[in-house]
Amino acid sequence: MRQFFKQILIFLITTFLVFTLLLISSTTGVKAASNLIKSETLPQVSSESSSVSPIVSNEVCLECHGEPGLTMTLSNGDILDLNVNPDQYANSIHGEGGYACVQCHTNLGNYPHAAFSATDLRDVTLQLNKVCIRCHSGEYNRTMDSVHATAQANGIREAAVCTDCHGAHNTRQWTDPETNALLPEAKLDIPTTCSKCHFEIYEKYETSVHGAALTDESNTDVPTCIDCHGVHNIENPTTNAFRINSPQMCAKCHTDPAIMDKYGISTKVLDTYVADFHGTTVTLFEKQSPDAPTNKPVCYDCHGVHDISRITDPKSGIKMQENLLVRCQECHPDASTNFPSAWMSHYIPSTKNNPLVYYVNLFYLIFIPLVLGSMIALVGLDVGHSIYVKTRRGKHTTHPPSEESPSTSIDQTPLQPPPPEQLNEEEHHD
Amino acid sequence: MNQSKQSPTSSPNPVKLVRTFPRFSVSQRWEHAVLLVCIAILLLTGLPQKYAASTWSQAIISTPERLEVIQLIHHITALVLTGLVFYHLGKTFYLIIRRKLPGDMLPTIQDIKDAWNMLLYLIYIKKQKPAFGKYNFEQKVTYWFLFFSIGIMMISGYVMWFPETITRVIPGGVIPAAIMAHSTEAIATTIFIVIWHFYHVHLERLNLSIFSGWLNEEDMKKYHTLEYNQLVRKPRKNQDSGDNNL
Repeated sequence: MRQFFKQILIFLITTFLVFTLLLISSTTGVKAASNLIKSETLPQVSSESSSVSPIVSNEVCLECHGEPGLTMTLSNGDILDLNVNPDQYANSIHGEGGYACVQCHTNLGNYPHAAFSATDLRDVTLQLNKVCIRCHSGEYNRTMDSVHATAQANGIREAAVCTDCHGAHNTRQWTDPETNALLPEAKLDIPTTCSKCHFEIYEKYETSVHGAALTDESNTDVPTCIDCHGVHNIENPTTNAFRINSPQMCAKCHTDPAIMDKYGISTKVLDTYVADFHGTTVTLFEKQSPDAPTNKPVCYDCHGVHDISRITDPKSGIKMQENLLVRCQECHPDASTNFPSAWMSHYIPSTKNNPLVYYVNLFYLIFIPLVLGSMIALVGLDVGHSIYVKTRRGKHTTHPPSEESPSTSIDQTPLQPPPPEQLNEEEHHD
Repeated sequence: MNQSKQSPTSSPNPVKLVRTFPRFSVSQRWEHAVLLVCIAILLLTGLPQKYAASTWSQAIISTPERLEVIQLIHHITALVLTGLVFYHLGKTFYLIIRRKLPGDMLPTIQDIKDAWNMLLYLIYIKKQKPAFGKYNFEQKVTYWFLFFSIGIMMISGYVMWFPETITRVIPGGVIPAAIMAHSTEAIATTIFIVIWHFYHVHLERLNLSIFSGWLNEEDMKKYHTLEYNQLVRKPRKNQDSGDNNL
């Protein structure tokens, strides 16, 4: 009998303990949600304990939200679909990690749920988006420096936030967890992700040499949007700084033999660009005044921005002088058909490419050492000889120079000699 | 300075006139002065553009505005130098037409012989320096080196300045060739002026006759023996100093 009471007592104590624990952690969750703005320093809900045994298990949520047809009408009339596809969530990276619904939906741990303050569908996204910082503060804070965050701050609510790119319940693993490098399959999805808002640019990119390789051949050597624009802290690409730095951006891949050798593309493109005066000026300002506006062309002024085409492309390839001329004329309106060949096309001068430049260079390679070298030799000999003459004369003062050496002429009464003009006059009079 | 040199004299009256010989006309002296200033400005504004990758250059051309100013100065100076070149050539043609060109500056076979003898003298084979006329081979080299150098600089400079116009007539390949020639010739000229010209007019002896216009008797005898002999032996009216023409 006593044994039985003991067992009941133990059971009661355990249940009590479990309930208190549950209550405490759920109230801290609500607190955390209400203090969201300050929560950057707040430690995230101990994901270990909650992923092992969620405070409110996902099954509880999915009992209602797993069934299609659950909706809610927001104050502006938008209908919010409250259904979550259980399979979709289970396959998402958060689902696989065993994260609980209430870890993001922090204020929905209780039922009936707390009042929902969002006025329309976009407002729902914008409000819920703020919760990402709890685990992903690095990425989240970087987005705060992006053009998207600036646009949001200026009241453009359509500007992308986390879930617009990553999705909400279908968030996927995009990087290799060990190397943190982008997964190849994720790379293929990036342009389409951006195209959700930037469709016109996507259309250009899709037909470009890079875009076509990505979409048609699943070639992941090519850059996608983020390789040039950045990932979370996407900067404004219309600034002077972006323009001046852009050659370095292209050079990241185009000077890398590991990538370029596969396609037989020269890795000297940056060097030859910098050696030319256009590139020299851009490089100069890149270091000295990166915010300076420059009218000198950068890579994309000739090769195109999103519609970069193969240089041999018959329609727009700039290997064709008439195609390049169009680009030249943007800055040189008076340029005529001969003008594009003034650009050395990234070639290093040789007997085959730009032979005139090659021979001019060759001429000076010979001329400078030969002529100036022999002049230096003559001057050197002259110095040596005059030292020799001076020391020898110091020893035997037998044969002074034909005139008195200048050192012996001591000036006592300086005279103003007749200026040469006067002498000329005399001559004329003669 | 030549000006103050005077032979000591034993006569009770120490006043003795130093004989001086006209060497350069006012026009020539001004030409040299303008040329000197032009080349100095062109080099000072050109070299930072050539060595844009170096830190000292980047300290000068730090902003696009400064680069524009530097290029403007370079262009204006280039125009002044062009004017000078046309004046010089015009004067020469005028003298040729009037059959009054002294011709002292024209290179001759004698200059090659002089240079050879000078070399033999400098390597201690010959005891005596060759005797020179009004312009020795060294001065002729200076003149003609700069003559062609400025010619190359001018042509390539204008090709770079007006590429759109130039390529209407000739192939575009000349533009990068002109850029190459312009910047390399500038270096060749700089080295030349510093090594050759500065040595001969500053270190070998301080020769300021291009500024004062005349040379004293002592230097005339020593450095321009042939001319001196000619001048003192013959009546002066037959002499063509190159000075009485313009």
